[in-house]
Amino acid sequence: MLSRTAEGLFWMGRYIERMENVARLLDAGRRLDSLPRDPSQPHNEWTSIIVASGASETFPAPLDEADTDSVSDHLIRDTANPSSIISCIEAARMNAKAVRNAITAEVWEAINDTRAELRQHLARGSDRENLADFLDWVRLRGGLALGKIDNTMLRDDSLRFIELGKWFERADATARLLDVKYHILLPDVTDVGGGLDYLQWTQILRVANSAVAFRHLYSRVVDPQGVVDLLVLNEKSPRSLLTSLSEITFLLSKLASDLPVQQQLANEARAVEDKLRAMDIDEIFNHGLHDWLTDFIVNTNQMAQKTSSAFGFGPEASVGHEAEREAATQ
Amino acid sequence: MHANIFNEMKKGAVVRPEYRAVVDWIERNGVEALQARRAEAEALFRRIGITFAVYGEGGDPDRLIPFDMVPRIFNASEWEIIESGSIQRTRALNAFISDIYGNREIIKAGIVPESMVKGNPAYLEQMQGYRPPRDVWAHIVGVDLVRTGPEDFFVLEDNCRTPSGVSYVLQNREVMSRMFPELFRDGRIRPVDGYTDILAEAMQAVAPPNCQGAPTMAILTPGQFNSAYFEHSYLADMMGIELVEGPDLVVENQKVYMRTTRGFEQVHVLYRRIDDAFLDPQVFRPDSMIGVAGLMDAMMAGNVTVINMPGTGVVDDKAVYIYVPDMIRFYLGEDPIIPNVQTFRCNEADDLAYVLDNLSDLVVKEVHGSGGYGMLIGPTSTKAEIEAFAAKLKAAPKNYIAQPTLSLSASPVLTEEGLVPRHVDLRPFVVSGATTRMVPSGLSRVALREGSLVVNSSQGGGVKDTWVLSKGAV
Repeated sequence: MLSRTAEGLFWMGRYIERMENVARLLDAGRRLDSLPRDPSQPHNEWTSIIVASGASETFPAPLDEADTDSVSDHLIRDTANPSSIISCIEAARMNAKAVRNAITAEVWEAINDTRAELRQHLARGSDRENLADFLDWVRLRGGLALGKIDNTMLRDDSLRFIELGKWFERADATARLLDVKYHILLPDVTDVGGGLDYLQWTQILRVANSAVAFRHLYSRVVDPQGVVDLLVLNEKSPRSLLTSLSEITFLLSKLASDLPVQQQLANEARAVEDKLRAMDIDEIFNHGLHDWLTDFIVNTNQMAQKTSSAFGFGPEASVGHEAEREAATQ
Repeated sequence: MHANIFNEMKKGAVVRPEYRAVVDWIERNGVEALQARRAEAEALFRRIGITFAVYGEGGDPDRLIPFDMVPRIFNASEWEIIESGSIQRTRALNAFISDIYGNREIIKAGIVPESMVKGNPAYLEQMQGYRPPRDVWAHIVGVDLVRTGPEDFFVLEDNCRTPSGVSYVLQNREVMSRMFPELFRDGRIRPVDGYTDILAEAMQAVAPPNCQGAPTMAILTPGQFNSAYFEHSYLADMMGIELVEGPDLVVENQKVYMRTTRGFEQVHVLYRRIDDAFLDPQVFRPDSMIGVAGLMDAMMAGNVTVINMPGTGVVDDKAVYIYVPDMIRFYLGEDPIIPNVQTFRCNEADDLAYVLDNLSDLVVKEVHGSGGYGMLIGPTSTKAEIEAFAAKLKAAPKNYIAQPTLSLSASPVLTEEGLVPRHVDLRPFVVSGATTRMVPSGLSRVALREGSLVVNSSQGGGVKDTWVLSKGAV
């Protein structure tokens, strides 16, 4: 496969997943914002959403003035934000168009139609009128595209590069979602573990579609250790960091040819996965959840960059040079 | 519309037999049904993503070429003229290109003046003395034909650079056979889906001399913002070969490689859909971002075949066009099956005087122009437009040729008011490898405005499916 095609598939997968995750983050903001609280106390749920989504740089107003409208606009329709929902679908479609031959007609149509309908939604202002319905729609369309990918593509390298993009993005998104909680103010330190703290963790779970799963798997009242365990270390969760890493390891081992740089990358991914699998939840909390998550996000992004160069795309493509030497000796 | 215009569907009030089945369908189901199918067809085209980007006009950059639901139909004997005439012309054009990059016998014989080569902006000095595999230079040729009577076909121009439009031929047929299965059922309409097989075979047949075994082939596209990107992508898909962009290719040791996820893979036959000037920044425009540095060197070394060969554009020139009938006589010893349109050379004093006196009856074109831009259509122009053009013409007469306004044949087009006749032309595609072949069809372009003679898609023309009926069908 052309390296450029692999790149297009990888980013198509990432942007579809990201679109859905941005909708999830906004949904988290909406839910956290509607929790009962003392109106005289300061609160900043929407600021935390902007920070967690990585959009602090592009957000056009001072961060502490973030509110429902400004954050929704920035994360949904602002094309200056490369991760807004509209930017995600445009980027997914652009990549899909560039790799049109490597995807099925149904995948292309799911993405192309979503983009067309999204533009209509935005023109009508339906995201402003009913945020919750709109976010449901975005998640539905994200699910449709992922379903079409899973159900219509050949089980070959094309599918693997899309999935690789999807899982790198999901690992990043789940880590960011957990980090939202770190950035939200609690009125008082003594509130940690209190009623509002509990409610906030519950909303995080809901956003990750994991509230019911939590009850099934842990049979106890929601607590921070449990939520983090589920979304970081539990391999049964479709969104946990361990699940994402183990999918990445599997895909890299399938994609690796006999080129040493690719073999090495697959081994490295397996080592990272094994390390995470051996962890327990106390280690993470002792390290400090926020710092641990920050490290995880940085390391995962580094691995994604290594992946692109190992397969000949991205700014530091390395596979070409290796093959050049091979070609020269032929 | 004029009474002396050849109507392809009707002779007076009588429907020609080729069109009988289609007219019966319309009479049975009504024009409304046809209009409903058109809406379905458009939705289909948009869904598949067959769009044509038009630059500099604002609006939706991904717009559809208007598709007309009434097919254009040729019977077997009409097709015989088109096919043999187009193949004959293509063989002569390839012989001419070989000759001018070789010994220039036709110039020595005094048949074509040397200025046709020397002053020709598409002539490439670098190609002088080069001999491509099988001496094929223009592997794909689009011959633009017009018709004025039952058996009166004329060549309007030759397209030997990188003619586009064949994907519409294939997709129009795909859509028509979905919309009107009952009309295709009896097998009278000759199929077109062999095109990509013929093309792949031709590409294989011209593998470079240093290629052992089956050649690896690819299509080189400028990228998804090019107006014909859909076609590049569609052809690559149908032939099962890679669609590459300049940055995907790299030349090492005079060999061309694609960057793949498993390292470099050598490419032997490259069907490029970018212009000569952008092909290789080491040889042509140094600022080209879409080309491949070292490609020409690799080609000269016999490691890659470029399709069509660089430098074939010499014959697209409208001044060279005038000599094609002579080329057919010179190289093939045959009489031209399809004649040229009578053409006046404005760089000759007598012709120029005639042209200036008769501008209101003539079509004047730029010698190196294409796409229907920069031309004057005398009969539909205002007096002021004609005067302005006359000034341009007098300033640089050698840049222009002129032709009489032909009464182009008309084909029925579906409009809000029902079927109306509109002018059409035809671009059949001729493919050369080990042999020279065609699929029985072509791109029929239709002027959608009443009386208009401009059929170019960049200027609002539409397209039709083109049917060739098998022998004995009517």
